[in-house]
Amino acid sequence: MKILIVEDNERVAAFLKKGLSESGHTTNHAANGRDGMFFAAGESYDAIIMDRMLPGGIDGLAIIETLRKTGNKVPILILSALSGVDDRIRGLKSGGDDYLVKPFAFGELVARLDALVRRSQEVRAETTLSVGDLSMDLLSHKVMRGERTVSLQPREFKLLEYLMRYANQVVTRTMLLENVWDYDFDPQTNVVDVHISKLRQKIDSDVHRQLLRTIRNSGYMLTAND
Amino acid sequence: MTKLLRFSAFTVAISYVLVSLVVLAAFATPLWYAWRETVQEDRAHILRADMYRLRKIFNEQGVDALTSAIDVEVGSKARSAEDLLIFTDPQGNKIAGNLAAWPAGVTNAPGIHNLSFEVDGEVTRVAVLYVALHGGYNLLVANNIEKYRQLEQLFLLGLGLATGIVVLLGVAGGMFVRRTLLAKVKDINQAAAAIMAGNFSHRLPHNSGESELDSLVATENRMLEQIEQLIGSVRNVSNSIAHDLRTPLAELRSRLEELTLTQPDPAHTFNEIDGAIADVDRVIDIFNALLRLAEIDSGARRAGFVELDLAQVAGDVVEFYQPLAESQGRRLSFQSQGPLMMAGDPVLLAQAIGNLIDNALKFCQLHGVIAVNAIRHAEELIEISVADDGPGISHGEKKKVFDRFYRGDTSRGTPGVGLGLSLVAAVVKLHRGTLELRDNHPGLKVSMRINP
Repeated sequence: MKILIVEDNERVAAFLKKGLSESGHTTNHAANGRDGMFFAAGESYDAIIMDRMLPGGIDGLAIIETLRKTGNKVPILILSALSGVDDRIRGLKSGGDDYLVKPFAFGELVARLDALVRRSQEVRAETTLSVGDLSMDLLSHKVMRGERTVSLQPREFKLLEYLMRYANQVVTRTMLLENVWDYDFDPQTNVVDVHISKLRQKIDSDVHRQLLRTIRNSGYMLTAND
Repeated sequence: MTKLLRFSAFTVAISYVLVSLVVLAAFATPLWYAWRETVQEDRAHILRADMYRLRKIFNEQGVDALTSAIDVEVGSKARSAEDLLIFTDPQGNKIAGNLAAWPAGVTNAPGIHNLSFEVDGEVTRVAVLYVALHGGYNLLVANNIEKYRQLEQLFLLGLGLATGIVVLLGVAGGMFVRRTLLAKVKDINQAAAAIMAGNFSHRLPHNSGESELDSLVATENRMLEQIEQLIGSVRNVSNSIAHDLRTPLAELRSRLEELTLTQPDPAHTFNEIDGAIADVDRVIDIFNALLRLAEIDSGARRAGFVELDLAQVAGDVVEFYQPLAESQGRRLSFQSQGPLMMAGDPVLLAQAIGNLIDNALKFCQLHGVIAVNAIRHAEELIEISVADDGPGISHGEKKKVFDRFYRGDTSRGTPGVGLGLSLVAAVVKLHRGTLELRDNHPGLKVSMRINP
């Protein structure tokens, strides 16, 4: 993927560039608002990582607003030290697709970036999802693992649906909390892990191949690949 | 401030005087005008009637008849100079009348003119009507208007006196307003100075009156209350930061310092780095929790309140924690008298209830029971209670548990940053509810009561 990083802190920018290059992405970096605007409008990217407070007269939100006004639909992840609910709402209202508060874990950033790009590539509303021999019918709410029917509680269904939509990529605990339960807080205890292991028992028991994997220090991944 | 007030009281007085003068003028001007008009009308009418009558005599009966008529009417000498008449022949010689000679300055322009000329050795103001008769004879009828002057002067004198009284009253009124205002404002000033000096519990002196100043003071006092609260929460947060962020930061520092000093093998180094990241994450967690608390305390989240079912919110949280309770071999039960509709922030309420359940799970017996109840006491009172069968807390601890970072003896060794109950208290306060801790015999029962 080709990713634009608009970030004035050299250290954070270098860290992002290095990390993203190692995961096989190409990156451009703009260190101020003017360059950011210039790059974002001039070239096409798969995603933009946008810091909010930037030198150079134009701040991150102004860039996003301008891009959206010109019809540019590139997925944008806002990166900011401003963590208030108001700040979040303003960021998303300006046209940002997701909001990550600094300081952040790199794993969280990559997972959210992948999810954004995946979401922007969804072309049609699917009625069935499948990963390996696990399939989900979104209309009848029927879930099958091979020949076996899996019965799920409503919330477990929502959890599995999210994991299946973002199959083959890392999904963090925070992403699950926000999207499956609509909770924007950290419950301190490992509640999400317990939900995952309960779900794992239902879909991965008595089978040769485990689909739901735990990714150390990041989150989970539902995948049929090795 | 005093200078400005002096200015404002002065302005009030000036404006008051000006307005009074305008009112006075508005009253006097038409009166003056009407009087003038009426008097002049009357005078003109009299002069014209006189002239008409005399002219008729001249036209019908000739010079001699007019002469004798004038003689009968006014004689040949001006007495009180009330009605003045003079009748002259074409050469300008007097034939009859009480004026000695044709007065100077009389033009033959038509209409009535006001003039001044000497009558009986005295300069007198008169209204004059002059007509040229047939055959070059001239007739002049005049009326003394000197007698009206006195009336005019009396009127002007009255007006002047009234103006003086208005100005005096205005100045006195302005001074009075200034003095009363100054007295009140002085008290307020002193109180404000005390508050600025750091005594934030001080309030402005307040009378129970209904005046604008009183209602302003009442509003101001409410604002001060809010400010005191905000300052309190800021102070609280900075104390907490100083106190509780130091510990993990000190740990982090010593860990890193030890690494540079001992330079252990890579495997051990990476292990320590992971530990350092965990330390930083703990600091960030505390930081986030404090920021969230500050945000809740500020009341800013009230703007995002929506109509919600508190029982539903609690049910969802119970469902969220259910697998965790099961995995620990504990029972988490939920009973609801819902729906319990209210206006609130669903995420904050969920977090608060979650914290209560989380606490209960930490302290309850190995195979214990946690009971969550959603109760409707009345139309105006709803309650969510979370009860466990753990060790409970002593009476002395009940107040302290809401203090930021307070962790009771029984919680040593369990994970957490000690902000859980503070957040619950803040959320309940945000929703204008009350929080109650009671004995559950055994265990602890925490109730959030809210008036929807």
